[in-house]
Amino acid sequence: MTREFKRDWEGEAIRCIKCGACQVFCPVFLETQNESFLARGKVMMMRAHIKNEIGLTEGFAERMETCLLCKRCVANCPAGVRVDKLVEAARTEVADRQGLPLIKKVIFRVGLKHAGVFDTAMRLGKIGQGLLFRRVEQGMLPRIPMGLDKKRMLKSLAPRSLRASLPATTPARGPKQMRVAFFTGCAINYMYTDAGKAVVDVLSRGGAEVVLPRGQHCCGTPVRAHGDRDTAVEMAKANIDALERANADVIVTACASCGLALKEEWAELLHDDPGYGQRAKGLAAKVKDFSEVALSMPRVIDALGPVGARVTWHDPCHLVRGQKIAAQPRKLMRSVPALEFREMAQADNCCGSGGTFSLSHYDLTLKINSRKVKNIVDSGAEYVVTECPGCMMQIQDGLQQAGSPVQAMHLAELLSRSLAAREAGTTSAD
Amino acid sequence: MTSAHATDPIVQELIEILGPDHVLTSTEDRMSYAYDASPLSGSVPRAVLFPGSSQEVSAVLKLANRERLPVIPRGGGTNVSGGSLGVQGALVLVLTRMNRILEIDERNMIAVVEPGVITGQFQAEVAKRGLYYPPDPSSLGFSTMGGNVAECAGGPRCCKYGVTRDYVLGLEVVLPTGEIIKTGARTMKCVAGYDMTRLFTGSEGTLGVITRIIVKLVPPPEACRTMLSIFPSMDAAAETVYRIMIAGTVPAALELLDNAYVRCIEDFAHVGFPKDAEAVLLIEVDGDKESLDKHVKRVADVCKAQGATEVRIAETPEQAAELWRGRRSAFGASARIAPTIIGEDVTLPRALIPAMAKRCREIATKYDVKIAVLGHAGDGNLHAAFLCDERDKAEMARVEEAMTELFTAALDLGGTCTGEHGIGALKPKFLAMEVGEAGLAAMKRIKDAMDPNGILNPGKMFPERVAP
Repeated sequence: MTREFKRDWEGEAIRCIKCGACQVFCPVFLETQNESFLARGKVMMMRAHIKNEIGLTEGFAERMETCLLCKRCVANCPAGVRVDKLVEAARTEVADRQGLPLIKKVIFRVGLKHAGVFDTAMRLGKIGQGLLFRRVEQGMLPRIPMGLDKKRMLKSLAPRSLRASLPATTPARGPKQMRVAFFTGCAINYMYTDAGKAVVDVLSRGGAEVVLPRGQHCCGTPVRAHGDRDTAVEMAKANIDALERANADVIVTACASCGLALKEEWAELLHDDPGYGQRAKGLAAKVKDFSEVALSMPRVIDALGPVGARVTWHDPCHLVRGQKIAAQPRKLMRSVPALEFREMAQADNCCGSGGTFSLSHYDLTLKINSRKVKNIVDSGAEYVVTECPGCMMQIQDGLQQAGSPVQAMHLAELLSRSLAAREAGTTSAD
Repeated sequence: MTSAHATDPIVQELIEILGPDHVLTSTEDRMSYAYDASPLSGSVPRAVLFPGSSQEVSAVLKLANRERLPVIPRGGGTNVSGGSLGVQGALVLVLTRMNRILEIDERNMIAVVEPGVITGQFQAEVAKRGLYYPPDPSSLGFSTMGGNVAECAGGPRCCKYGVTRDYVLGLEVVLPTGEIIKTGARTMKCVAGYDMTRLFTGSEGTLGVITRIIVKLVPPPEACRTMLSIFPSMDAAAETVYRIMIAGTVPAALELLDNAYVRCIEDFAHVGFPKDAEAVLLIEVDGDKESLDKHVKRVADVCKAQGATEVRIAETPEQAAELWRGRRSAFGASARIAPTIIGEDVTLPRALIPAMAKRCREIATKYDVKIAVLGHAGDGNLHAAFLCDERDKAEMARVEEAMTELFTAALDLGGTCTGEHGIGALKPKFLAMEVGEAGLAAMKRIKDAMDPNGILNPGKMFPERVAP
């Protein structure tokens, strides 16, 4: 198979009728007010590239990189232009023609692509991070620039990864209702292990036997989003092999971006591979977000105990627009006794994380994040609950910079705490 | 396309006026200001400028006038007639930084805004104070007040409430020669001298740069009701439009949709439009709560008398919202069946809508092109949309011919070639047909008097050659 940008994407690009509706939705444009960074501007630049009016200049690449893939333009486009898919394709075009920058190439092709190497690197990273980062209460700050902004707070790597610290199979509590394979994703496996443990806890209490399939690996989204499609294809195939072997009734994700990859993007990546393409589709039919599964479990809903706290919800882009999931987490939170749920303004606006976007465009991401942080603080909540580790890291960073005591929390952690409160028969005070 | 901008002395001078953050010169930035929302393509400008005040606009225009550089004023770039297209060597003057609502004077029911304020956001602010700014172009969520005034934008509600010009009381304008002038007043009436406010309203950026706008506000209607009338023929629906008005009720909005739109909207939005209807009228009636039922009944009676097979009156605000969601999705829905949509806006005296709708059908057949018709029929505005594919050169040539015939037909019937989109770069030759040579020459004399060097928005409004 060969990719050809013009042949594959011209039909989509010309569907943009240039109306400009994206101006009030594109988070990047709202900050820059520069048309060339707007969804419409990017699509028009792609059309210019197709017509050979502009080459793959550094400026072209920069515009394509400066997109959060938040899908707000897509959701609000009168013509329904898939700007997200176009931007990814344009990044692939740049990577195909000009190659990835060397540093990305090493990380993606050697590190991320091979599960073993990746795991070793992340374990070594735990030693290395002490030299490179200084610990603060909520995470760590870079000691030296390394291409990251020195103010940028990152989540520390966990002492032991989730998959190394939990058994391969956690039995259901009580009668087994289903066998669930938990696709952890990298951030939950290496950094947000508490969220991962909470997912396993809630699902097993709900009656699921939870397996952590061996050989599962990064979902490939960061690699694909940077234009390295071939590596993403390899990763998707390895994951499909691993997840099929788990022989589960349901495959659960607790990271919005992983969930979207499993539900939709793997099948798209593999569309012209007859074998894996079909398998990706079959797998996708079994994939559920954690909130969908938790909400379907009577043994969870009926056993929620009181959590006396004020919370608000942040809709991750790849959950609300990617997977059309917004009602389920809210229903779950409203089911927790004593919990006060406060809807923040513009809950579905992007936090500016965009995966690794926040690392490379820190000043821009800070501005986008500050709007989100203000809405969180204005809601009066003590906790901002969400379901995407990338958003959690970003939002916690923004809250820290703003001097706010509000904490980011994964939905599974909240539910796990609620279930434990019922079990203990006491009210969780904080 | 690229040039040594770092050493361009004009750019250096512009940076001194505006500051380095407000002057864009890279190829990628400049090419992004060559187009607008019209189907035409423009040329890559020399620089893109973001002034922050009237004084900065004035300084830029003085420089441009001295150097004879074309200047293109621009808001959200949502112009559908090519009025904000880039021109070779031009300075694009983007007014979005000047986006403050300076004043909402509740006692006098007026507001003062800068040109970069987004119309929908202005309406929302005004509504918070219990007031109403009615003009509602479908781009209101992302187009600017400055652009709306420069184009004299309309919209569905204009059926009852009038267009942008009916709300503009006064302006601050920077002339192409750099002077800052004030027009009109903060009063409901003002006959001090020529009506310069109306001259600049709808001037399409060819006479001056609008930097401040005084608008009139009205009380919002107390209540409104929406209904959908279904017709077995386009003729019957079109005929009903003016009959509703002469029966004594002016609806807030009266929208006509043909079968092509009804089908594609229903497939896309599932709002319950009957797909076999040849045409529908979507009607909104507003006013005092006490009188609303009477008006609704009157409109429904007229529809039935004209042969409507069904009149559905929305029982709840949710049902009404569903119907309007269908109407608003018209453009998106049609964009899903054809990659290129060219929307036209010929406007007729209301009673001639049936005749114009018939001409649309004949033209579509004659040139073998797809035309879908939807209109703010209450004000005679018919949006005939050509559904085509810009990559199909033969089809585009037929569309071009069909469009010419469509405009000619509208003029023959006593209508206008544009009700609300403007002449821009799309219709200069039809302006000449519409107003005649002497009419055009009179306009050109005004243009020359205001803009002696022709720097403001050249290539728009006027055909290449105008008899002196």
